[in-house]
Amino acid sequence: MELNKYILRRLIEITVIFFVILTVLFLLFRLAPGDPVSRMVDPSMTAEDARRLIEQLGLDQPLGTQYIIYLKSFFSGDLGISFHYGVPVLDIIGERLPNTILLFTTSVILAALTGIFFGKIASWHKGKKIDSWLTIGALICHTLFLPWLALIIIWFFGYRIGWFPLNGILSPEIWTDPANGFFIRMLDVLHHMALPLMTLFIIHFGSYLLVMRSSMLETLKEDYIITARAKGLEEKVIRNHHAAPNAALPVVTSVALSLAFSINGGALTETVFSWPGIGRELVFAVSNNDYPLALASFLLIAIVVLLANLLVDILYAWLDPRIRY
Amino acid sequence: MTLLDVKNLSISYQTRGGPLQAVEDISFALDKGKTLGFVGESGCGKSTIGLALMGLLPPNTTVTSGSVRFNGSDLLSLSEEKLRQVRWQKIAMIFQAAMNALNPVHRVSDQVAEAILAHTPGISKTDALAQVRELFDLVEIPIKRMNDYPHQYSGGMKQRAVIAMALACRPDLIIADEPTTALDVIVQAQILDEIKSIQKELNLGILFISHDISVVADVCDHIGVMYAGQLVEYGHRREVFESPGHPYTQELVGSHQALLGAQCQPQSAPSAAPNLLSPPPGCRYCDRCKEGGDTCRTEAPQWIELSDNHRIFCCHRDPEE
Repeated sequence: MELNKYILRRLIEITVIFFVILTVLFLLFRLAPGDPVSRMVDPSMTAEDARRLIEQLGLDQPLGTQYIIYLKSFFSGDLGISFHYGVPVLDIIGERLPNTILLFTTSVILAALTGIFFGKIASWHKGKKIDSWLTIGALICHTLFLPWLALIIIWFFGYRIGWFPLNGILSPEIWTDPANGFFIRMLDVLHHMALPLMTLFIIHFGSYLLVMRSSMLETLKEDYIITARAKGLEEKVIRNHHAAPNAALPVVTSVALSLAFSINGGALTETVFSWPGIGRELVFAVSNNDYPLALASFLLIAIVVLLANLLVDILYAWLDPRIRY
Repeated sequence: MTLLDVKNLSISYQTRGGPLQAVEDISFALDKGKTLGFVGESGCGKSTIGLALMGLLPPNTTVTSGSVRFNGSDLLSLSEEKLRQVRWQKIAMIFQAAMNALNPVHRVSDQVAEAILAHTPGISKTDALAQVRELFDLVEIPIKRMNDYPHQYSGGMKQRAVIAMALACRPDLIIADEPTTALDVIVQAQILDEIKSIQKELNLGILFISHDISVVADVCDHIGVMYAGQLVEYGHRREVFESPGHPYTQELVGSHQALLGAQCQPQSAPSAAPNLLSPPPGCRYCDRCKEGGDTCRTEAPQWIELSDNHRIFCCHRDPEE
């Protein structure tokens, strides 16, 4: 019950914060340099036509009026039409977002599970060879520069041994052939996903391992671990049942936050692998003064970050009974 | 019947400054259903003895000599797997700082049931929890609080829960390491009474470790006084408490009585315990001793029998005195 009340309170807070972000974003975009119309119009267009276009887009209105229109259309679910694509922004997001979620959720969750597992092993064998190798490996993964790693992976797996496609998310010939069922199509996506997934996995895995390892080392010093040992429990039970749940708490935060930042942080990966996700779209929208699309992408990031924080708090309360709000 | 027989036990810690003799040449015996109390200041090695009996010494620690016979079998030579079976089923422990002895993310009842499940092959979780209910009844924790988490308990309740947990497998021996130190005197008295009555009911042997000689004198049949890793006095409770032989025990008892009598200031120790990395050749207590002479610094102390059941480890006191 208390938890429900807490969630309600947090949702109200989130709404307020979101409203502030909405306003700040509106102002930011009006202050930004560059003229959107000059980008979208043909150079041969007359000044008269350009003026009409600005009018049509509502950009000649005073700031206050623009703001009212902006809020009104936002709450009626209209995020505008992309200057560049000429289609509703919502459609573009609806098409790109699932790709990003598919790639990043999979990689972060895989990396977290593996990192937690090996971090647990490393701390358990602290100071031994296996610990040294795991820690050094994790440090290297953690410090790798993502675009470089991505290129190496593409070069090796995509070009040298040629097991995986170089980029993209699907092969048109497989998807256009009506004979191929759902399963074959999904397999094609997985095939394309392998390399970006591998890249993100390697980048994230190391930090989860290191966080889990140090957190676990702290936990192993706790008195309740001696109690568990004195109780004559098996080492495996002590490690997995008594130490790991307590030690995994900081990793949970780290996972939820990296999911939240995957939308913008993913731009690099998505660009290198030509993955049609929202991060790449965001970079494109900003560099092309595509106001509606960029604005919607920023809003999306804000929503995801806010919700991810809420999720962390709820997860924490669920994992650690000491935390009640 | 002798439950626990420890002979010439020495334990050393490997430190950066070299080996540190934490426990040196300690011998004692404990009968079934009886209580032996170890008393001494922090760092004197009393907790180390408790951990050694459980086979729970930290990795940088070695038992350098001695034997520990429990119910006739040698505990020190048991394999890790055999030792795991002895733990809790035969020897359980009530920990110092019960506040942290319970895992914060598991329900108290589950943590007690876990001990039963680990040592009773084939028992169902429901049956284990039924036993837990009886145990909680025994230590007087309300049954409706059984499924709470540790942080929802008060200090006294946690201590009771830890005692219930120690009793879970009906052990023969319980090592109680400062079981009441964190509690206020009223709760402390309740818990001590509870321990005593449960002991009588279950015929438990208890090794009671405390820094408080009044507590030890209250619950124990025999008292061992430890100083700087050595046993300095050992004997029946009444003899040790009422006519202490070793100057250190006299000071311990004296400071306690000073608190009770309130006439004089409790005496404080004039200097700290010796560095155990390089212990002095003579008596370790000589720097603080009021009676010692020059020979105490150079000559190793000897065991002196004061009576059948009472001996001290001292060098200036002649047996004829």
